[in-house]
Amino acid sequence: MSLVKDATGQSGQGTPVRKSGRSPVLPTASRVATDAAEATEVSPAPRAKVWPLALATLVVVGLLATSLFVGAYDVTNGELGAEMMWITRVPRTVALLLAGAAMAASGVVMQMLTQNRFVDATTSGTTEWASLGLLLTAIFAPAIGLAGRMAVSSAFAFVGAMTFMVILRRVVIRTTLVVPLIGIMLGAVVSAVTTFLAVQTNLLQMLGTWFMGSFTSVVRGRYEVLWVVAIVTLLVFLLADRITVAGLGKEVATSVGMRYETILIAGTALVAVAAGVTTVVVGFLPFLGLVVPNAVAMIRGDNVRSNLPWVCLGGVALVTVCDLIGRTVRAPFEVPVSMVLGLVGCVVFIAILMRSRYRG
Amino acid sequence: MKLRHARSSRLLAVASLATAAALALSACSSSTEAAEEGEPAAATSVTITDNHGEVEVPVNPETVVALDNHVYQTLSDWDVELAAAPKGLMGTLWPEYRENDDVFDVGTHREPDLEQIVAAQPDLIIGGGRFGGSYDDIKAQNPQAVVIELAPRDGEDLVEELKRMSTALGEIFDHADEAQALNDDLDAAIAGAKEAYNGEDTVMGLITSGGKIAYAAPNDGRSVGPVFPALGLVPAIEQTAEDESHGDEISVEAIAQSNPDWLLVLDRDASFAPENRDASAVPADELIAGSEALQNVTAVQNGQIVYLDANFYLREDIQLYTELFTQLKDALSAS
Repeated sequence: MSLVKDATGQSGQGTPVRKSGRSPVLPTASRVATDAAEATEVSPAPRAKVWPLALATLVVVGLLATSLFVGAYDVTNGELGAEMMWITRVPRTVALLLAGAAMAASGVVMQMLTQNRFVDATTSGTTEWASLGLLLTAIFAPAIGLAGRMAVSSAFAFVGAMTFMVILRRVVIRTTLVVPLIGIMLGAVVSAVTTFLAVQTNLLQMLGTWFMGSFTSVVRGRYEVLWVVAIVTLLVFLLADRITVAGLGKEVATSVGMRYETILIAGTALVAVAAGVTTVVVGFLPFLGLVVPNAVAMIRGDNVRSNLPWVCLGGVALVTVCDLIGRTVRAPFEVPVSMVLGLVGCVVFIAILMRSRYRG
Repeated sequence: MKLRHARSSRLLAVASLATAAALALSACSSSTEAAEEGEPAAATSVTITDNHGEVEVPVNPETVVALDNHVYQTLSDWDVELAAAPKGLMGTLWPEYRENDDVFDVGTHREPDLEQIVAAQPDLIIGGGRFGGSYDDIKAQNPQAVVIELAPRDGEDLVEELKRMSTALGEIFDHADEAQALNDDLDAAIAGAKEAYNGEDTVMGLITSGGKIAYAAPNDGRSVGPVFPALGLVPAIEQTAEDESHGDEISVEAIAQSNPDWLLVLDRDASFAPENRDASAVPADELIAGSEALQNVTAVQNGQIVYLDANFYLREDIQLYTELFTQLKDALSAS
């Protein structure tokens, strides 16, 4: 929470405003490129300041520790309490960490690859494709198991993300807001198909329960597959520099000798796996991949590699705070994290939009 | 199938026009004829009070459409034929309605096909339940029919509502004795369960779906809630429902902490095609009795978990409530 507040609160300072003639309404699309270029040049600068990152890490660790000790069951209650700690609290906290980091990191990747600030898994239709895949497994292969379900879901997410990329390339007018609009439209079409199929097969209510992003049912034995997204996050870290270069556009990337297409596909695949797996285990986490990278970029500019730790920390912090709110506000009942996230994310997102308008 | 239906409904529309005209012409004469034939003194219509007030309903109406899930079992037991029904909401039950091509399919409440009701030209439409929202449309589209709603009303005592419903159905379909028997059975089952309950054990209602557990509040929680006031059960957590029909999200921790002595579980997904159900829609049994976190809960340790009939979610009728109370009586007295 504190990170997000910082991000929106410190208007005025932060990244230098730069003028560019390419996009008339919001300068973001081109700024991704220019800022990134500048940030790469001066990358040694942030290294001098290690302590803010250390401090932020401390805050997030504190949040995670709080998450371990907040809940309906009295974990201080002797042996049973200790056991409950391992059955529900630890898995839940680990899941928050993994999902938060992965969704935020894949948001960055999406934004770099599309050169657009307003794109993430939810605004590019990727999660909708993932849920279509999930529903199809429920209809045609109900016995496929969690791992198979995730594979199918991720495959669909990949197809969806690639469709989005291909359509983007064909679109001539690519102002900042048109790009996410295309994604949202695509998502709407896909989710209409999903809903239709669900109605036909009497699975609509089940679908609703399923995709309601919530960590309530995360317990030992039902979340372990989420570790897959740890690999995704790691790979994003490894590919960070290339993704930054890809974010400069095809011409620049190719001219500095990078295989643009390969990075594009690799990046899209990472996003797809992150979206597919989190959708199956946790459900939709709206705004996470959108708000966090934007907030970080606003303060620190656009160097993916040096921002990534901040983005991951921010993602974990945001989702953990939202889950903590969801856990306590109606205790002993819970409010799904997606609901809290939607509310908080909405406010932050509008704040970011307003701010970029003023700066433009 | 679709085509055939479309054609048949068009034919019916034409036929209905013709019949209406014929009826209008012969209206006066036919009524006198009936009287002259010297029918026994049986009443031709009965006045009942439905959810909207007093309605005059023909006794043993010729063409009946039923949309309320609470009535199918009763109608089926009394061999009442239906002209249209929402087949999508019948799961695998009542094959005489669901698999009968003469019965028009009204679809589901989410995607209703109300024209099928018009095509059926009913004399009586039993609306309500999931189709409660379509009442005004149905009434407007079927001026020739009597439309009644008998479904249990919100905020009323469910047991009384169920009995009111079967009494009304008994009067309409001339099965008053059977209706009385249904009501008596329910009362007896409740009395039995009440007697078997020790008045102290805490009870919690749960709804499971899609691998998740939700809490069904006493009184107003789906299916399970009304059992609490009927038997005077002590709830393990006292809280009103925010989401009455789908339950409120609850963690296994909260269930473990409140440590209920009894669990009443409705498996919502069980109603739909159990044979090819989704694997992640873990059967309630596995989700609750198999949950690591719930192993120390009294209800799980002593096996004091009552699962509702697999089709409870689809029916919720007086017969199933009677069964549930009997089931509870047996479980409570066995412990």
